[in-house]
Amino acid sequence: MNEPVMTDMRSEYSKALIQLGKENPNVVVLGADTTDSLKTSGFGKEFPNRFFNVGIAEANLVTTSAGLAVSGKIPFASTYAIFLPGRAVDQIRNNVAYPSPPGKKGLNVKFVVSHGGLSVGPDGGSHQQIEDIGIMRVIPNLRVFIPADTIAVSKLTSLMANEYGPFYMRMARSKTPLVHSDSQNFETGKAITLRDGSDCTIAACGITVRMALEAAELLQQDGISCRVLDIFSIKPIDGTTLEKAARETGCIVTAEEHNILGGMGSAVAESVSESYPVPIKRIGAQDMFGESARDKEIPLLLEKHGITSFNMVKQVKEVRSKKL
Amino acid sequence: MGLNYYQIKKNILRARKLVIKATNTAGSGHPGGSFSMAEILGCLFYKYLKFDPKNPQWEDRDRLVLSKGHAAPGLFSNMAVAGYFPESELETLRKFGSKLQGHPDLKCPGVEFCGGSLGTGLSYSVGIALAGKIDSKDYHVYTIIGDGESDEGQVWEAAMTAAKYKVDNLTVFLDRNFIQQDSYTEKIMPLDKKLETDNISEMWKDASRWKTGDKWRSFGWNVIEIDGHRVEQIDAAIAKANTTKGVPTMIISRTIKGKSIEHMEDNPAWHGKAPDSDVVPIINMELDSQFMIAPSIIAGDMSNLENEVKRCVAGRADYIHLDVMDGQFVPNKTFDHTKIKELRSLTVLPFDSHLMINEPLKHVRDYIDAGSDIITVHAEVTDESSFGEIHDLLKQNQVGVGFAINPDTELPEWSYKFISSLDQLIVMSVVPGKSGQKYIEETHVKMARLNTLLKENNFSGYIEADGGVNLENIGSVFADGARAFVGGGAIIGQQDVRAAIRDFRTEVLSSRRQLLLDKANELGGIELVNKWIGLHVVGEKQEQIKKIAKERGYL
Repeated sequence: MNEPVMTDMRSEYSKALIQLGKENPNVVVLGADTTDSLKTSGFGKEFPNRFFNVGIAEANLVTTSAGLAVSGKIPFASTYAIFLPGRAVDQIRNNVAYPSPPGKKGLNVKFVVSHGGLSVGPDGGSHQQIEDIGIMRVIPNLRVFIPADTIAVSKLTSLMANEYGPFYMRMARSKTPLVHSDSQNFETGKAITLRDGSDCTIAACGITVRMALEAAELLQQDGISCRVLDIFSIKPIDGTTLEKAARETGCIVTAEEHNILGGMGSAVAESVSESYPVPIKRIGAQDMFGESARDKEIPLLLEKHGITSFNMVKQVKEVRSKKL
Repeated sequence: MGLNYYQIKKNILRARKLVIKATNTAGSGHPGGSFSMAEILGCLFYKYLKFDPKNPQWEDRDRLVLSKGHAAPGLFSNMAVAGYFPESELETLRKFGSKLQGHPDLKCPGVEFCGGSLGTGLSYSVGIALAGKIDSKDYHVYTIIGDGESDEGQVWEAAMTAAKYKVDNLTVFLDRNFIQQDSYTEKIMPLDKKLETDNISEMWKDASRWKTGDKWRSFGWNVIEIDGHRVEQIDAAIAKANTTKGVPTMIISRTIKGKSIEHMEDNPAWHGKAPDSDVVPIINMELDSQFMIAPSIIAGDMSNLENEVKRCVAGRADYIHLDVMDGQFVPNKTFDHTKIKELRSLTVLPFDSHLMINEPLKHVRDYIDAGSDIITVHAEVTDESSFGEIHDLLKQNQVGVGFAINPDTELPEWSYKFISSLDQLIVMSVVPGKSGQKYIEETHVKMARLNTLLKENNFSGYIEADGGVNLENIGSVFADGARAFVGGGAIIGQQDVRAAIRDFRTEVLSSRRQLLLDKANELGGIELVNKWIGLHVVGEKQEQIKKIAKERGYL
């Protein structure tokens, strides 16, 4: 594979917000003392009366957004992943997801966080959110996205602004490789088949998508045809595409930088076990916390948890042997 | 809605009864916290809130956020009274399929906030207020928070945010009732000062211990401290908050959990418990037996009425009775509207202007403009036409309508059609014109006659006893049906007005307890009498009631 083009998700998010701000006067942005880091401060410079920094107060961030949303605004509330679902889950549930105006489901708040998963690196285990997908996807009315690259970030940001209801989108801290083309279409609840294959499927999200594509290349050299799915929409999950993959390839490996309990892998397993059960192997944090790793050591940290293309190759081979 | 003081009180009473009905039917719910904020909600719903029950999503409406969501029965009851849905719907509270959920929910049109998770309503209100600012809307956000939920850190996060963004379109009431689920707030997590004993009255006695206002002031808020059960104080506080620019307003409202029902008042057990069905009729009778006491200042120093008004305020009178005499309808002359206007700026206490003057229609406008809260005119000098005009004029100006009859006057037949919309009927028990007369005993018989007539004509105002009321006879006057008492020499003539009013209250309370004991006995015999007495567990109430029960032969 070619050397990837690395781009920054937060910069792309910032650009997308400013564009939305120009298009729609109801878009407002809220932050919690991480607005320079999240790069939402750019929106604040452009639209100072639609930008609110509530300080280091995540509960307040969430509920203030709810009040704005119920009054017709479209709030984007952003901070680090570790501080939002982990800290303010009650407010996310009771002030945003639960309250439903007549004919609607939940309030129109968009949670967009950065620094998801283990690849946060040097800040250590206290800052590596590996439980957020599990926390967020069990809350009714809430939809959950993990974009794989900046193209996804840009398109999903715009999608969320135009689709009513609460969303949670988790970005990575470090620059990420481009895996999508500019023309790629994104729809809520629709997985993207990045590579076709007939012997096995790797379902990935976020930073593991590029790894899955690399793994598929390696498997190809061994004569194994591997399908690669970008499950950016973890909730709702694309049951149709997953069932098709199970039926046509007979086994699935999932990979994510999240605890294997409750994450994307669990969501895939739940779906396939009801539609077309096949052997599944989940790659991710094996129910253990992360730890500090300098930027150049992040691959080592991921490797410790088995989040590499080589492990994907290994797991594909193993799971194929269990095919029914 | 813009109702007058008396109509607001009437609606508050109606809402309280609905709370009892709803929680009793549901078998659970939170009457205590619904009653502590009853007057606050009443003032908001019936005087200040802009809303349209037929169009609950009207975008320019004011927003009411009940952060202490467990007091849902209080909110729903007022919504019913305000016309959002029929009062009968309160019987569906907490039931499967009802829009009246256990906690306020957007499922019910008109509800602005899904309550239940405490400590979050203020942040939400700040969000609504910010949206109003962005859109240059002039709606106002009114929020009620509890003192128990002030334990939550998020309340203070929101407090800082509101001050930072200068949301002056936000007014918050702290329902400071001193009780949370486990016990008294000052025992669980002191907001003011740690409570050392089990006696909550210790906290009440000493206002210097109150620190909650200072907390909010230090957070940059405009802080107003009031008695949260005084309609006139709430009214004045909202008016002040609405004109305060550049900062949000916090109205610290000292309240009593379970207010209006003796056995619920100040009792943590009534935080989240529904009343039993056999006790409900007694509770309703207690609610119908709320009373007010007013000094008549002409019995004081006529050369310094300003000082008499101040004594009434310090003495915690419910309102002030102003006897206007023109020297024609009655032989004496006291003062006219110019004096009332002068006194008006001294207090927010309601002014009850009793016009003992000829041709009241000619002058009533002056007394409206002087700032009267209720104006009473005499049957002897009005007829159907002139009273009709006075009645309409007063209603249009949000002033209460009073009607008075002298000892030797019966209610004229032409007045029957006005009875249901009267806010007050004064039954004079002395010949008007001078103070210091004795109570005319025939009034008791007259009252019995009147009660039948008033009931037939759906009277729902206060009967005011005026003339010769003193400590000896006030109990029997209450038993006759009077619920407002004017005291001349017996109150304002005393050195210590506060003590005199306290003694008056004690006497009326005793008479009310007799009434309720009789009711319990009538409904359920000695068993219910004992049950009802047993509900009074806070303070010395039970011992006092037992004593009365013994005197009545129940124990």
